[in-house]
Amino acid sequence: MTNPSPAEPARLDVESIYVAYNGTPALRDITFQVPHGARVAVIGPNGAGKSTLFRALVGLLPLQKGRVLIHGLTLGHHLDCVAYIPQREEVDWRFPVTVRDVVLMGRYGRLGWLQRPSLSDHMVVRQSLKQMGIVNLADHSIGDLSGGEQQRVFLARALAQEPHILLMDEPFTGVDMTTQAATLDLLDQLRANKVTVMVSTHDLNLAAGRFDAVLLINKRLIAYGTPRQVLVQENLSRAFGPQLMVLPDGTMLVDQCCPPDEGIESYRET
Amino acid sequence: MIYWLLEPLTYSFMQRGLLAAVIVGILCAVMGTYVVLRGMAFLGDAMAHAILPGVAIAYLLHGNLLLGALAAAAVIALSIGFFSRQGTIKEDTAIGILFAAALSLGVALISSIQTYAVDLSHILFGNILGVSLNDLWLTVGLGLVILLAVGLAYKQFLVISFDPVLAATLRLPVELLRNFMLLLLALTVVVSLQTVGVGLAAAMLVTPAATAYLLARRLWSMMVVSALIGAISSAAGLYISYYLNIVSGSAIVLFATLIFLLVFLFNPRKGLLRRRKA
Amino acid sequence: MCKTIFLLPVLVFICSACGIGDGTKPVTLPSTQVMAVETFLADISQHVAGDRLIVDVLLQPDVDPHSYQPTPLDVTRIAESTILIINGAGLESFLGPLLVKAGGERLVIEASAGLKPRSDPGGDHPMGDPHFWLDPINVVKYVENIRDGLSQADPGGTQTYTANAKAYIEDLHSLDAWIKEQVSQIPPAHHLLVTNHETFGYFAERYGFTVVGTVIPSLSSEASPSAQQMTSLIKQIKQMGAPAIFLEAGVNPNLAEQIANETGTKVITNLYTHSISGISGPAPTYIDMMKYNVKLIVEALK
Repeated sequence: MTNPSPAEPARLDVESIYVAYNGTPALRDITFQVPHGARVAVIGPNGAGKSTLFRALVGLLPLQKGRVLIHGLTLGHHLDCVAYIPQREEVDWRFPVTVRDVVLMGRYGRLGWLQRPSLSDHMVVRQSLKQMGIVNLADHSIGDLSGGEQQRVFLARALAQEPHILLMDEPFTGVDMTTQAATLDLLDQLRANKVTVMVSTHDLNLAAGRFDAVLLINKRLIAYGTPRQVLVQENLSRAFGPQLMVLPDGTMLVDQCCPPDEGIESYRET
Repeated sequence: MIYWLLEPLTYSFMQRGLLAAVIVGILCAVMGTYVVLRGMAFLGDAMAHAILPGVAIAYLLHGNLLLGALAAAAVIALSIGFFSRQGTIKEDTAIGILFAAALSLGVALISSIQTYAVDLSHILFGNILGVSLNDLWLTVGLGLVILLAVGLAYKQFLVISFDPVLAATLRLPVELLRNFMLLLLALTVVVSLQTVGVGLAAAMLVTPAATAYLLARRLWSMMVVSALIGAISSAAGLYISYYLNIVSGSAIVLFATLIFLLVFLFNPRKGLLRRRKA
Repeated sequence: MCKTIFLLPVLVFICSACGIGDGTKPVTLPSTQVMAVETFLADISQHVAGDRLIVDVLLQPDVDPHSYQPTPLDVTRIAESTILIINGAGLESFLGPLLVKAGGERLVIEASAGLKPRSDPGGDHPMGDPHFWLDPINVVKYVENIRDGLSQADPGGTQTYTANAKAYIEDLHSLDAWIKEQVSQIPPAHHLLVTNHETFGYFAERYGFTVVGTVIPSLSSEASPSAQQMTSLIKQIKQMGAPAIFLEAGVNPNLAEQIANETGTKVITNLYTHSISGISGPAPTYIDMMKYNVKLIVEALK
């Protein structure tokens, strides 16, 4: 495994991927490219396949068709290039690990089978803890933390991985203001370090205001481009269907509770 | 006091028994850490009982009984993994089915052999008092192999146990590692059977580690505490069985359970009585 | 085509009903099926029955009756028997439920009936020690009981059975004399037996041995000794200077080997005590079995 230098473009190329989840098709014919260091918001209704997309990009779900290229190479060549923070961590919260232990795990991708973490690894860990403002929690058990603090631990771990691409699944949903602010700070810092970031969110204003590009999906790619290009009525209509309501003054309301019927979408297409 | 400690050791079978018991106690406790954290207690028990057909088949083929036991334990573990990964049944159910099947197959095979039925079931029941020098060397040798493997794969086992999603994103060979862990568990069970028998091996895989779980905050310290408890329980249990004239294996398990109860009640951090007071 | 397929099973059925099959069965009383539980008992019974009856056996050679687990086929075989010869005195603990399942009526001959049992040294068998047959003089009583039982079931054969019994009892007395002579070769200080479980009680009494102790301090082979029991046996062996530990065929020798290690004794395996061997083995009949065991014992203790 060769680790491309940060100078090379961390292009993420997604070519016509089809992904199934539990036997049913979840994503169909999705194609897009993300240039080096871009910050992309992924939006769509519930059940649109945002989480599925991230899992496929990381290699947790197999691709039925199509391929994903990072730095021009297929998945599997980049052990520590992509970091992924799922929406709900599927970890055992009562496992005997401290915050420091968890963040250190982010370095394991760079270590050989028999290597012990070195001093520089520990320094990276300390730096990540500092960035997320949780140095004081370093020796606490992971189970003793609040929800927000736990979120920050996993962000710190993702940082410690020193990834080229970071995928975050709904990091702003259901977290306290401090953590939201910390996460946004983190995004700015990552941009400064030219890390490519993809974040899924329900907050359309945030998507419009803080992101370079918006990827709107609902099992298929609906639109991809700048927020201005994407967040128009036609696209939102196709994605959210009857959940979209346009008020007389032009304001658009989106109710994000349930996935629109497949049938309606195809009706619209004819 | 010293006399009490030394008197049983004047017999070489007691010396060997003590050493074997302590080694097995440590081994089971270390692997038991993973058993407790990953919820594999039922699996450990199933493995211990499911070796019966392996032993029977090895006997029929005039092969080494221990190897037969090891093969059976490995097959059972990997089969359970296979069935539960299909997703149609839970792991718990898969274990229940395969455990019963293996045990029944073993009993059926043995009843067809008829003659040395008693001998084969001694593999299951084991006897800490019957450990020969060869048995001891084998236990020490295999024990070192197991501990070495755990040490080498420490990081990897930690990640796959704590966060399987991270393991996948780090491109760790999760299936391979899981199977490797199951094989180490199978080896531990078989090594223990020789000395302490089935019921005990299953118990020693769970109780010391469960006690350590209440006390330790990090994985490596949980392992160390677990090993200490395992070793102490084995030694103390053996001495108690000597002086109270009871069966050694049960004494060991009961002592380990006593330690667990004490910790459960009086643990400064999570003890039941402490929590009630607060 | 269909007709042929239908015809085949009918043909098979008819043929089997005609009795086309094993032609080697000797002519015996068709309604009598005699079965003995243990192999040595079957051998003894066959000597009494002579040519008049065939004695079947429930257990296979080398099987330990203490830990025997019966199969459904065993229930069938017992159900088909009209005379069942058992050792009795608590040896066959599995038999009770088996008889209930088999149902029906049969004559049960308890071979050890009338013999006074030794009390149980281990203390957990209220019926006492059932290992009578290791003393040939006890077997004389077995023969008498079997002879009486068979005569009751088959009065026409009384003369035959009586004659066969008389002859066999003479053989038993010869065996007894032979054993006494063999045992005299052992120096008196070595008349010491250490065995796997409490098997040789009656043998020891008859031929002047002391049972120093047993690895499993019980009348059954199922238990496990505690550490104290092992150390007290070791002390006993050292104190009395017993030269050997005797184990039955099929027993796991590891405990005995550890004891032997501590005490410097030999471990002699392959005694036939609860069963005779197969035809090609060293102990194909009861008398052969006793001679074989005695030879091993005398060799080890001389």
